[in-house]
Amino acid sequence: MFEARSRPAKIGLQIIVTIMVIPYLFPLVAMVQGSLSGQGWENYARVLAVPGFALFFRNSAIIAVSTIVIVYAVSLPAAFGFSKLRIRGREFYFWLILACITLPEVVLLAPLFALASPLGLFNTYWSVIIPLAALHIPFAVLLSRNFIDGIPNELFEAARVDGANTWHAFWSIVIPLSRPIAAAIVIFTLLASWNDYLLPLVFLQDPSTETITLIPQFFVGEFNNDQTKVLASAVITAIPEVGAYLLLQRLFERGLSAGAIK
Amino acid sequence: MTEASIVKSKRVRSRIPRRTGGGASMRRRLYPLGVPWILPALAMTVGVIYFGIGYTGAASTLSWNGLTPNPPSVGGANYLRILGDPVFWQALEHTVIFFVVVFVAQTALGLIFAVLLHSKVRLAVFYKIIIFVPVVLAPAIMAPVFRQIWGVEGQINWVLGHVGLGFLEQPWLAQSSTSLGVIMSIQIWEFTGLTFVLYYAAMGQIDPAVLEAAHIDGAGNIRTLISIIWPEVRGTTVALAMLTAIGSLKTFDIPYLVTAGGPNYSTEFLGTYIFRISIPAGHVGYGAAISIVLLVVALTMAILLQATGREKKGRIR
Repeated sequence: MFEARSRPAKIGLQIIVTIMVIPYLFPLVAMVQGSLSGQGWENYARVLAVPGFALFFRNSAIIAVSTIVIVYAVSLPAAFGFSKLRIRGREFYFWLILACITLPEVVLLAPLFALASPLGLFNTYWSVIIPLAALHIPFAVLLSRNFIDGIPNELFEAARVDGANTWHAFWSIVIPLSRPIAAAIVIFTLLASWNDYLLPLVFLQDPSTETITLIPQFFVGEFNNDQTKVLASAVITAIPEVGAYLLLQRLFERGLSAGAIK
Repeated sequence: MTEASIVKSKRVRSRIPRRTGGGASMRRRLYPLGVPWILPALAMTVGVIYFGIGYTGAASTLSWNGLTPNPPSVGGANYLRILGDPVFWQALEHTVIFFVVVFVAQTALGLIFAVLLHSKVRLAVFYKIIIFVPVVLAPAIMAPVFRQIWGVEGQINWVLGHVGLGFLEQPWLAQSSTSLGVIMSIQIWEFTGLTFVLYYAAMGQIDPAVLEAAHIDGAGNIRTLISIIWPEVRGTTVALAMLTAIGSLKTFDIPYLVTAGGPNYSTEFLGTYIFRISIPAGHVGYGAAISIVLLVVALTMAILLQATGREKKGRIR
């Protein structure tokens, strides 16, 4: 974008970027540094030795994977229906779903509370998975409908002439062609469900069902507010997230920007 | 396998009328009934979200702690109470400030990073990773880190002291004048990466010939940024305004975990206030009334932003 032909200009650009990036690196450095103060690596050993530490990760993984599967399995057919099939009052239903994008999850707490106790959903994964899925379906429907709108109708007409029914068209045209948007749905839902804090805070009170976002709180209690151990637990929790991003860097960046490009 | 056979049998059936039927049935088969396809999505959103809104609406007319079986109805009293509640208005004000500051800062930073990293800077991948990593980290995990950094004995004050700005050292999180600024800076830290990635992708779509032509015509870097790049990425900017606005109304994790809405309500947001009122304080009825107000604000804002975004788009094309 910017032209920097001369050597000083090139060096100047490099220096500007480097200075701008320092505040982004700073908290991460402070986190690692803080986790190593006091007893040093012993902090990590103590955190890892806490019984049931792995459960937080297992619970978060179960919740994230289930939410992704539900959001994908529900949103893609809906997007196909809105985009290519005949529905009376189609735009009304579409906006009915779309309006939910604006809903903050805190609004759902009291109603979900009322619903969860008679159904016995407290301390179950469902109490987090179902509201999370419902909250993220609207955005997934919006993204994938925009995408499927871009698939030419002729393709579906040709398939029909060849004798494919709606289900077959969905299976052999929509699913393979919508892979880029599937990546977007997976990444958005993964970040939202893995990082969600409020729903687990309220509905998962039993340590064996708690998620990774409740780890800091758990360790504040466990180690009598020893900040170095809390930071060590934060570093350990961050490692899989950063690792997943580094491994799937392209998928993350493309997935997140898929909605922006047409 | 059963699925495949069902597909097959339906295929056979759908072939029969085509041989015999006329044009009308042909058209009907081109766009068949789509309702079953949207039904699961509708059931999920209506079953969870619209149920929730309905329930909240009903609860907002009650004086209820969430436990007693037959709470008395108080009509619109909860809504009247909002009008005279200084904390509610403070929370709303914080949300507006938060939106404006975070949006402006993120747009500027995201745009500059995207432009710079499109400019043949060395080690661009390395910079990209640093900017983007905060996006994948849970705010709840980073909260203790930020409490530590901005603490009285934290790294910010340490750095200030060591670069000769010791007079600026202060209890950032413990005073009303700086706490909201810290909360906003954390939000900016977390989500600049997303803004950056979106702008980076949008800039990749600009025709290089246009930029080349501008350079040949003698346009400098700043001129190119203002006159060519900025208008070209306007669609992304509008989308980001929408995302940030909705995000501001949803703000919960960072203020709740870093400052707990304090000190003296200086970092109270609608989300943290509703939570505090409904769950620990047990005023479910009043919390529900604020929830409904929050919903109305969110929807109105979304509609307004959508309308302005469309208008601008229309003007360009």
